[in-house]
Amino acid sequence: MTGTLLEITVLVCLGYLLVTNLAYVALVVVAFVENGVRRHEHASQDFDVLGESRFTIPVSVIVAAYDEETAIVASVESLLGLDYPEFEVIAVNDGSGDGTLERLVEAFELEPYQVFVRHVFPTEHVHAIYRSAAHPNLVIVDKENGGKSDALNAGLNVARYRYVCGVDADTVFDREALLMGMRRVVEDPARIIGVTSHLTIAEDPARAMAAPEGRRPIDRRPFMAYQHLDYLRAFFNNRLAWSRMGFMLCAVGAFQIWRRDVLEEVGGYSRTFTCEDIELTFRVHEKFLREGREYEILCLPDNVGTTEGPDTVRKLVSQRERWQRVINETVWHYRNMWLRPKYGNVGMIGTPFYLLTEVLAPVFEVLGIVSFVVAVALGLFDPAVFVVMLCAIAFLNAALTACAILLDDLQSRTYRLRDLVRMLVLAPLDLVLYRPIIVWARLKGTFRFLRGDKAWHKFERNARAPA
Amino acid sequence: MDALVLRVALVVLAVTVPVWILLSLAIVVGRMRYERAHRGIRSTELTSREAARLVRRVSKRRPRTEWGRWRRVSALQRLEQVHHPAVPRLIHTVLADPDSRIAAAAIRTLGDIGDAWAIDLLVDALRRGNGQRSRVAAELERLAPAPGPKLLPLLRDWNPTVRFWGATLLRPYPELGDATLIDLTWDQDPNVRAAAVETLGTRSGAAVGAALLARLDDGEWFVRVHAARAAGHVLGAEAAPTITRHLAEERWWVRTAAKDALRAMGKDAVPSLLAVLVHEDSFARNGAAEVLQDVGFVDFLALDDPRSPLLQRIYDAGGEQFREAAEARIASIPVEVVRAA
Repeated sequence: MTGTLLEITVLVCLGYLLVTNLAYVALVVVAFVENGVRRHEHASQDFDVLGESRFTIPVSVIVAAYDEETAIVASVESLLGLDYPEFEVIAVNDGSGDGTLERLVEAFELEPYQVFVRHVFPTEHVHAIYRSAAHPNLVIVDKENGGKSDALNAGLNVARYRYVCGVDADTVFDREALLMGMRRVVEDPARIIGVTSHLTIAEDPARAMAAPEGRRPIDRRPFMAYQHLDYLRAFFNNRLAWSRMGFMLCAVGAFQIWRRDVLEEVGGYSRTFTCEDIELTFRVHEKFLREGREYEILCLPDNVGTTEGPDTVRKLVSQRERWQRVINETVWHYRNMWLRPKYGNVGMIGTPFYLLTEVLAPVFEVLGIVSFVVAVALGLFDPAVFVVMLCAIAFLNAALTACAILLDDLQSRTYRLRDLVRMLVLAPLDLVLYRPIIVWARLKGTFRFLRGDKAWHKFERNARAPA
Repeated sequence: MDALVLRVALVVLAVTVPVWILLSLAIVVGRMRYERAHRGIRSTELTSREAARLVRRVSKRRPRTEWGRWRRVSALQRLEQVHHPAVPRLIHTVLADPDSRIAAAAIRTLGDIGDAWAIDLLVDALRRGNGQRSRVAAELERLAPAPGPKLLPLLRDWNPTVRFWGATLLRPYPELGDATLIDLTWDQDPNVRAAAVETLGTRSGAAVGAALLARLDDGEWFVRVHAARAAGHVLGAEAAPTITRHLAEERWWVRTAAKDALRAMGKDAVPSLLAVLVHEDSFARNGAAEVLQDVGFVDFLALDDPRSPLLQRIYDAGGEQFREAAEARIASIPVEVVRAA
């Protein structure tokens, strides 16, 4: 009886593995087409004209900061250095308990000014608004703590322009980030309501971005390199294909451009979910598809910046369990979209894909590992076959990772050749060196989701050498 | 079951290991070739055979795939780099592509060429709507002043979108089309009125000023937004009393434009703003206080006479947070500066 049950479990897990990986392979094929088209588009774009033209749509960049004293100045400086004809930077200090506001006041010579703004989105109390004599396009909002969504909504109330770009305070941006993000919007602002783009990861983003294109180093530690590979797979293998197929399900919080009127229509960022980005994307899809409106939410392959990655296992688990929780919360909340033709590709492909590869993944991963181990222990399964199976999964992952590296390198030629080689060599070992941490984090996230935990559990920022 | 799992695993291995190796080699070799190609000075020349191949590619009627269309665009751009004589003929076919992104690439090529015939084609593309009009406009503006006189006929086009772009693009040409632009401030289409008002905002003269003041009462809020900014720029303090009325506007964007216009006038706007401090509308009162703060009048009063009744009136209009912000600013000013003031 136990044997039969184990056999069935192993077969179900094997089936799950094959189905999900076939889906990934199909997405990679679509991603190659999308990447090729975007590459041609990028090459035919005249960024000089776009960067000087008064017809390039102005953007309000909003950065929410909570206890970001180590990263905030570099982040705001990189935003102020953006090469874009007309933009403003709104940094919202969300009741930080550290020296975030003091760092900003000191670095940008800020003074308090009263600005009477529209209260389109209700937020926690705003203590003061600061302006800088040195940077007329910089506004700092100091408010009571209310979470990232609340801070972004406070920024939206202050924003003056038609498009807004929400960014993370721990991210350092390329000078052309906004131009790259807005290049498609400028061509069709009536239809393109949301854009996100590829971001890389580093222990110290400012240092990584200081290196020129083509020479950007990957962090030496394999732990960081694996996170980098994880981002590459997510952006190039998945999001590019989703974008091509009209179901871009997550405009990432570190760089998300939205048309302001769309955010006003859907009520801004929600405070009832653990994170704001994926839920907002689902909400916009749900509203526009329900109302039968034409729209596009895009993911572009251009590397717009580098975000800070956790440098310890504990921090990584904390971050990834939060991501798992918000995915579960969102997919469950929007369950009315599952397999509903009314919701087009989002309902018929996107949400089932998310359900299968993200929500149910920890269950199948743990079930698979446990049943295989028990089957081997009971002598029902040959350990050699188990090892061969692990090798097969490892190389399947490695092949998919190599696809992501190729897509990235074709697009940007960002990294040194030796780093590309290192990433390719590390790829097959992902299964044993990195994946177990992610499985654990996902399991923990699922458990916390079932318990109804919605806390942020922000990871402590990485220690850096003084500038 | 062992056999089944083993068979599946071996099939997966047999496929994925070679794929991983091949992809890795492709990445490394591709990157080495790319670096070698970019290390040396790249030849811009084309052999006649290469050129003929590229001309054929561009001349092809509507490639079936998007990929094929982009290859066509790349070929056109390569031919333009070497100033191939077939480019003027070929560009027509790409410009007419129904995919606006493909047409946009042709528009960029025309902007790079910048000759008289390229300008004519761009103006024609703007009129016909080949490609995104904002892209065409950006290229035409880059080529200023060359296209100037060629834009004037656009102001009389039957299509309001073309009139809009005509009026918008005339901004860098202060000597052209004043009278027609003034006529266009009465156009049936509000977008055209807004564009005409915006362009007139960069000019001067009594007729222009009168036209702009008239549009401050336009039925469309976005025309009033442009009119407020433009009138402030052209008429200066003369327009301040009229613009301050718009601090009490229902539309937030009009109030913001009025504040921007008054702020840009600096201290000249102060008398008009002081009159609004007792306005029945709270938006008008706090808007006036905000502009007085931004032009430095509040800080001046607070330094000069902190107990001044006028300052109290401004504080009353601005509210408690307004007062706190002003006091914090004053407190941060060094004592020597205060004494000097």
